[in-house]
Amino acid sequence: MSRRASIAWSVILLVIVSGLAVLFGRYPRPGFIDPRSLAGDQLAMRIVLLVRLPRVVGALLLGAALGASGAAMQFVFANPLVDAGFLGVSQGASFGAALSMVLGGGSLALFGSSFGFALLALGLSVSMAGRIRFGGAVLRLLLSGIAVSAFFSALVALIKYGADPLKNLPEITYWLMGGLSGASWRLVGMAAPAALGSVVILVAMRWRTALLSLDEATATSLGARPRLERAIILGTAAAGVAAVTALAGVVSWVGLIVPHLARLLFGGDGSPTVPGSAVLGALFVVVCDSLSRGLFPGELPLGVTTSLLGTVAFFALLAGQRLRVERG
Amino acid sequence: MTMEFIDVGYRYKGASDDAVLGFGLSLQPGTVTAVLGPNGSGKSTILGIGSGWLAPCSGSVHRSGQAAFLPQTERLAFSFSCLEYVAFGRAPHLPYLSVPSDKDRQAARRALESVGMGTKATRRITALSGGELQLVRIARALVQEAAWVILDEPTDMLDPAHIAAIGSIVRRIADSGAGVLLSTHDLGFALACADDAVLMRSGRLVARGPAAQLMTCEALGDLYGTPFGLASIPTPLHGATC
Repeated sequence: MSRRASIAWSVILLVIVSGLAVLFGRYPRPGFIDPRSLAGDQLAMRIVLLVRLPRVVGALLLGAALGASGAAMQFVFANPLVDAGFLGVSQGASFGAALSMVLGGGSLALFGSSFGFALLALGLSVSMAGRIRFGGAVLRLLLSGIAVSAFFSALVALIKYGADPLKNLPEITYWLMGGLSGASWRLVGMAAPAALGSVVILVAMRWRTALLSLDEATATSLGARPRLERAIILGTAAAGVAAVTALAGVVSWVGLIVPHLARLLFGGDGSPTVPGSAVLGALFVVVCDSLSRGLFPGELPLGVTTSLLGTVAFFALLAGQRLRVERG
Repeated sequence: MTMEFIDVGYRYKGASDDAVLGFGLSLQPGTVTAVLGPNGSGKSTILGIGSGWLAPCSGSVHRSGQAAFLPQTERLAFSFSCLEYVAFGRAPHLPYLSVPSDKDRQAARRALESVGMGTKATRRITALSGGELQLVRIARALVQEAAWVILDEPTDMLDPAHIAAIGSIVRRIADSGAGVLLSTHDLGFALACADDAVLMRSGRLVARGPAAQLMTCEALGDLYGTPFGLASIPTPLHGATC
């Protein structure tokens, strides 16, 4: 099967799984709801349209944005162990959310604060990288990103330390574990433009992004403008991640591991990786979120489910894949 | 079509000395020019400037046509197949957001065949030997169809067979009308495939001329600071492979 056909089949699978996810839940009983019963059950219809559907759309956006941005960042940093966390975006978003919670903001304020601080963290990473006096541009960005991530992580810890242990602390802790329980149409609508725009741009730039993983001198001789293109790709990826993190909290593992799964499933390391990561990321998060909300009477944090399932799936693929070292 | 360095100077950020100073050179298409000199003499800097990767701090470079550049070492973070990797060479010929077409992939396959790597098109570049990887990198430069091919120490750490193969390919590139500028510490390789030689020391051009005439024991002894003599040793025959 060609790579294009593989991705097309994955999209079809994604549509089917998303449809099933809308019907899956714990009302009226655990499992799938019969679509024919919706016409006669107003409550079920409202749950499907106002609770499950925005949540599934949010999961699609979240997974696609994290997957595509993770793949793009790995290419740009020429490092397969990188994701959005390396530029401080997730930690900035976490701080923004935690700050909003202790200040008593509502869901819109939380979204705005999280999104704003995510972009601020990205700006700080880029700005600090320009002041580092040694190393190449990629190394400087990585170093400054790590520093900014640590800075915002410390601020989050400080807020948790001083937060009301009965009111704010559980709320912050739960948010930091990630989840789509608060995903309303309004919030999903706020996150959608940046998340969707980010995925579309990253998919359009997929081959240029792969080219940037080559040595900077080589990429330049191939007509690339590494500094400009890197800035466009990282800015786009970070904006998408900021939007979905503001929507769903910190959902780890997706941006790091899904690009590896995409490489294993779709082959090659070039142009299929970014679109493949977007599709697989969306599929993975929709499945994880459905399990998180429908498997047990109480909801599991999405970040916990993605980490648990992600590690299992990754090792299963690694064990099943006949990885060969070829020597001429 | 020429490539001309006019009084070029370059100093790396934070360095106290110039890496290159007052460098002037004019190159013609269809010729191979080898830049020789001890470590730190500015060879790689000149190649980087010629490729457009480094902008000279003083002086200017005038180059008609594109340059394909192979740095001495290259970061390979991902396991592209040889075909995918060579197809990156088509980037200057493609619209900005497009991906390589079947035609581009065919061109990449032909380039791989021309360097003797046609049977390894689907192999991962990270699974190649050093010599094979260098051949694949040269195939990427070939598929770029550039007027100039700039190679920084293309035979570094290769076995004699691969050195001979690369020497043959370099001659073929020049014979097809492109100009080749390369740096090397392999004097046998330079003598076998270069038309002209450029001697550099401490960032300055010391001498230039036909390689066979310029590379005398006396000139090389002065250049490297160690005595040179003529010795007869078994040498691979350039042109006998590929």
